Amino acid sequence: MTPRSCRPAVLGLVGLLATGVLAAPSNAAGQMRWERLDNGLTVIVRENAVAPVVAVSLLVRMGTRWEQPATAGTSNFLHAVMVKGTAKRSGGELAEAVAALGGKISATGEVDYSEIRASSLTRFWRDLLGLVAELALEPKLLPDDVDREREWLLSRLQKRRDNAPSRAFDEFFAALYGSHPYALPVLGTSESLARIDHAALVAAYRAGYRPNRMVLAVSGQVAASEVLAEARRLFGGIAPGGASTDPPIPAPVTSAKRVEVEMPAQQAQILAGSLAPPLGHPDHAAVKVLSTILGGGMAGRLFAELRDRKGLAYTATSYYDPVREPGALVLYLGTAPENAQKAEAALLAEIERIRREPVSAEELARAKGYLLGRYAMDRRTNERLAWYLAFYDIEGQARDFPDRYRRAVLAVSVADVLRVARQYLDPLTTLVVRAR
Amino acid sequence: MIRVRGSCLALLGTALLLASGCAAGAYSAMSVGGPQPIREVLSNGAVLIVREHRASDVVAAQLWMRMGGRDEAPDELGLAHYIEHMIFKGTPTRPPGSIDRMIEGFGGTSNAFTSYDTTHYDFVVPAEHLRATVELLADLAANASFPPDEIESEKKVVFEEMNLVEDDPDKFLLRRLYEVAYAPHPYGRPILGTREFIERLRRDQLLAFYRKHFVPKNMVVVVVGGVNPAEVRSVVAETFGRIAPGPSLRRDPPPPPAIDRGRRADVVRPEKQAYLGLAWKAAPIGNADIYSVDLLTYILGDSPSSRLNQEVRERLRLVSAIEAGYGAWEKAGLVTVNARLDPDNAGKVEAAILDVIRKVREAGVTEAERQRAIITAESSYAFDIETAEGLAKSYGQAETTWTLEDEIAYLGRLRQITGEQIQAAARKYFGDDDYARVRFVPEGTQK
Repeated sequence: MTPRSCRPAVLGLVGLLATGVLAAPSNAAGQMRWERLDNGLTVIVRENAVAPVVAVSLLVRMGTRWEQPATAGTSNFLHAVMVKGTAKRSGGELAEAVAALGGKISATGEVDYSEIRASSLTRFWRDLLGLVAELALEPKLLPDDVDREREWLLSRLQKRRDNAPSRAFDEFFAALYGSHPYALPVLGTSESLARIDHAALVAAYRAGYRPNRMVLAVSGQVAASEVLAEARRLFGGIAPGGASTDPPIPAPVTSAKRVEVEMPAQQAQILAGSLAPPLGHPDHAAVKVLSTILGGGMAGRLFAELRDRKGLAYTATSYYDPVREPGALVLYLGTAPENAQKAEAALLAEIERIRREPVSAEELARAKGYLLGRYAMDRRTNERLAWYLAFYDIEGQARDFPDRYRRAVLAVSVADVLRVARQYLDPLTTLVVRAR
Repeated sequence: MIRVRGSCLALLGTALLLASGCAAGAYSAMSVGGPQPIREVLSNGAVLIVREHRASDVVAAQLWMRMGGRDEAPDELGLAHYIEHMIFKGTPTRPPGSIDRMIEGFGGTSNAFTSYDTTHYDFVVPAEHLRATVELLADLAANASFPPDEIESEKKVVFEEMNLVEDDPDKFLLRRLYEVAYAPHPYGRPILGTREFIERLRRDQLLAFYRKHFVPKNMVVVVVGGVNPAEVRSVVAETFGRIAPGPSLRRDPPPPPAIDRGRRADVVRPEKQAYLGLAWKAAPIGNADIYSVDLLTYILGDSPSSRLNQEVRERLRLVSAIEAGYGAWEKAGLVTVNARLDPDNAGKVEAAILDVIRKVREAGVTEAERQRAIITAESSYAFDIETAEGLAKSYGQAETTWTLEDEIAYLGRLRQITGEQIQAAARKYFGDDDYARVRFVPEGTQK
């Protein structure tokens, strides 16, 4: 979902959508239920009568945040192998079984979590939940599959390295986060992938798939009480496992820096940004608004000034994605190699300007409209609804987070924007990928 | 766009309130609210379809025009699509760029599509912006200004779009297959038009086409989302209801030609792999056979477990990809089979595809295949209508090329189709000699 994601996300499109945060539809009729099972697993169900479909999102506290340079990519690697088969069926049979429900299933590792997601026609919800449980609790993890998937992941890694925007984001996060695990790529590195073996994946599975590290969310045309009962039956029997408190990670220390990389490409990439508050921080909403004023759509300053008015960039946008530890506010330009120098100077000038001058009331109002509109637009499907429910829970946010977030955005003032621009947009990390 | 599924499937369990003939403003007798789509015809002939859909706080507002590529004269190919691009450029009260910025400022999205039978203009916005968005749609429908500078600069965009289609072998194969199967019928023409015509395109040609076709009788307004239907009806009456009536000058196209073995084309292409496309004439959208043809298409080539995949890809290992599609248009239908293959295997693959179809003609399909096809159809429909814009699209498509009642009855009818009916459709439409063929041959390999 983020530019760091290992999914084949198209930069510039996906990132923006993913930055939207859930708006609770005030008028959605369905019931919502939360339950913590005795073994510690959290189950959330949202009844949504609108279409005869159901979506499941199972999030596990396991991802880049718990990895080291030597183990980078373990979570994503594990999930690539998990979908290759369970104790009861092969990967092909699993795909066939879920297709027979009119559905799909997939698994992936991300930064703060890993996810198994699935959806199908509502009338098969019980079968679908059963397949999710089977994949989560009884993966086969064959040594042969580990080798095959490693080859495939290495080819994806190479593809990502050959893609200038992806490479730029990977290098940027490495420079910004330093020794913090958020510096590591979700896919891992060729060195780490070579080192991660079958035993390492089995160990990672055992450490991660414990009930107190798992959140299951279901959204669709279902009865919450029935889903809860089935979830207890399927997941309630897992042994609680030991307490798993995560050791604190030292906060990254940043200083102003500029990194330059060269690669064969048509376009130059310019990223400038800084550490930003995490999801639960009081400044989160104000930085969202700041990010939108700078890089939210065609009326954002980067697009209007650098692309429309000065013709210095093709792509001009910003990213500020919700994470648990320090987030990153990233301003991004893709431009013709001959414009790279001017574009970088113009980008830094925009950053200086927003740290110096208050934004206009119109800009502030537009940014809030855009942000809250996107926020509603991003939760139209049950798949997104289920993910958001599980995501907020796994990030440690309260159930009323969406409402509080919406109120917080509306309350952001001109002075707040100036304050967070001054506070967070310094020191800056700049990363330039030069095309050769 | 090409396929019957997803666009014309039905929603079960919803009742339809038909209210044709209601004058704009005379709404008090209508029942309001509830999950049914409400259809009504305004006094100037425009149709409104509205449905409350509380999936989220957004609303989809779409304008469907009973006008598309098939309504162009042979010497003006690409006009309908060009108008689709130009409409967003402004009206007397909305300067170029302001429309995109307005929708974006709402956090919403805009899009538009041109096909042979229809064009549609779509917005999705937070529900509180319903009024402004419907006002915008009506302004575009009645007052598009076609700024001369914008007409010229948009030509580059359309040429780029043509390049994209030509560069994409899958899309271009389908484009050429339609041309070979249908020519000279309008369904065989390029929707994007010809470079020659677009290069010389003038503002007066756009205006004449726009004024001829953008009359209320050709307009269908579809609003679906977290809205109050009574409020939608009042906004639509105040906007679309005030557009001056005019006659619809739309004419039916001639019937499509028969397909025989004379319809063949080989095209030299830069790709290393070869492509093969075959097409059979099938039922148009209003025909009773669409249900069995739709299920047959799923069974033949929709998924990895489909017949063509299992036989030609998995068992014979002759292709790297193969799929079937059904394009059911208002006046004609076409089932296509496309495959990606090694150039040396073209003859074998064609024979193998015909063999798979022959087996269905002779021995029919299994009950498991029939059930699986129905589940796939249901699932495709259910995920389409999960969003307000998906549901709006199914209503708009049905109203302009079919009927809302047929749309709503679709899945129910599909479930009634027997294995014998699927076999009968194979016998009726899929012969050994009545298909069109296009082959993409890699450069340097042609014999």
